Amino acid sequence: MDNPEQKSKEPAAGLPSTAGACSACGGEGRQAEGKALGRKLHRSRPWVQTGFLGLWLAPAGQWLHGIPGCVFHCYSCPLSAFACPVGVLANYAALLPVAPEMPCLLVGVLLVVAAASGSLACGWACPFGFLQDLLGKLTREKLTLPAWTGHIRYAVLLGLVILLPLLLGAKGIRFDDQSVSICRLCPAGALEAGLPYSVRSLVTGHGWMMSWFKSGLLVAFVAAALLVHRPWCRLFCPLGGLLALFNRLSLFHLRFDPKECVECNLCRSRCPMGVKVDQKVNVANCTRCLECATCGAIQPRLARPKG
Amino acid sequence: MQKRVTQPPVNPALRPTERHDFWTGFAIILIGLVLVVCGARHLTSIETVEGGTAWETQLVKAFSAGGLQFPEQLRPPPPPKSNDPAALEQWAKQNSQYSAPTWKVRVDAGASAPCPT
Repeated sequence: MDNPEQKSKEPAAGLPSTAGACSACGGEGRQAEGKALGRKLHRSRPWVQTGFLGLWLAPAGQWLHGIPGCVFHCYSCPLSAFACPVGVLANYAALLPVAPEMPCLLVGVLLVVAAASGSLACGWACPFGFLQDLLGKLTREKLTLPAWTGHIRYAVLLGLVILLPLLLGAKGIRFDDQSVSICRLCPAGALEAGLPYSVRSLVTGHGWMMSWFKSGLLVAFVAAALLVHRPWCRLFCPLGGLLALFNRLSLFHLRFDPKECVECNLCRSRCPMGVKVDQKVNVANCTRCLECATCGAIQPRLARPKG
Repeated sequence: MQKRVTQPPVNPALRPTERHDFWTGFAIILIGLVLVVCGARHLTSIETVEGGTAWETQLVKAFSAGGLQFPEQLRPPPPPKSNDPAALEQWAKQNSQYSAPTWKVRVDAGASAPCPT
């Protein structure tokens, strides 16, 4: 397998190199600087993800369950600190026919995070994404999925998280009793809550607690994470889909600098989500892992007021 | 490490730089912050078990801890199927005080079910 970093300055066959133009205006120095930043980001990401894991798994922080988090993490996990925003949204939807309430905290938290950084939380802070990253490291070859599959996330958001709980709630079925719901189908719930409680139940002699359906779902998810990079994030995550909608206008964003581009296509080659980074980078399929920034032409930036 | 993807025929000079406007994102963040502050101080229209109305934070916590109570959960059990007069009398005695609640849902702030679903 070739190493893209070694070839990063080589222009693609048949295309003129722009490296010469860059060197004339000090571009090589800037590109080296950009590449160094990219490599630093690449190295630090697992540590940042581990640090955030400490925040989401703080057992002393269970009193924070009254505040929705901004990442996909089951609130039934014995160590969870914040409330799962997806579960909270589904609960609000189910409660709507009985007691309509405005989810100010949930909407506020999500708006702040999304407008500040888009889907940066997916790539750098989400514990479930981190887990999928770790599982993905066990296998080298990954299947590629077409970009349109990312739209399934919005069907999950509208169908499973909002409409279905709302309709069943209107029929008088409360969320906890709904046999089909996002929480009953969620692999994060199976892994972070179902598994620990089932293991504890097994150890204390009360047998396997989790349903066979959910256990099978967990096995299928782990298998999928070995074959596809971040399958949940890419195909089903309603929260990731929602945050990524703000990638086009968030203060933190990725900027393309044509002066730094030597057409090596390292950016697109390194993107684990299959985003066509060589065309547009602030798109809804991106989890902002910043792997594409390794080449130096894609640069993480904060928007600033003009003047 | 990913395999190198073949370079498509793109001209970097023609590609948009994707600079972002500051004020749109800033305005949305401000709206979000206002909602967070309002949410933290928001009293919902839902009653609590202890009396009074629930804060929004209590409602969110109730979602994750099985803390929502519905009237049907407090409904008395059906009468015993056996014709034992003593059992029927005991059932009637137990439920003589029951009256249908006026609330539709209420919050039990002290609930701590490990997994409500």
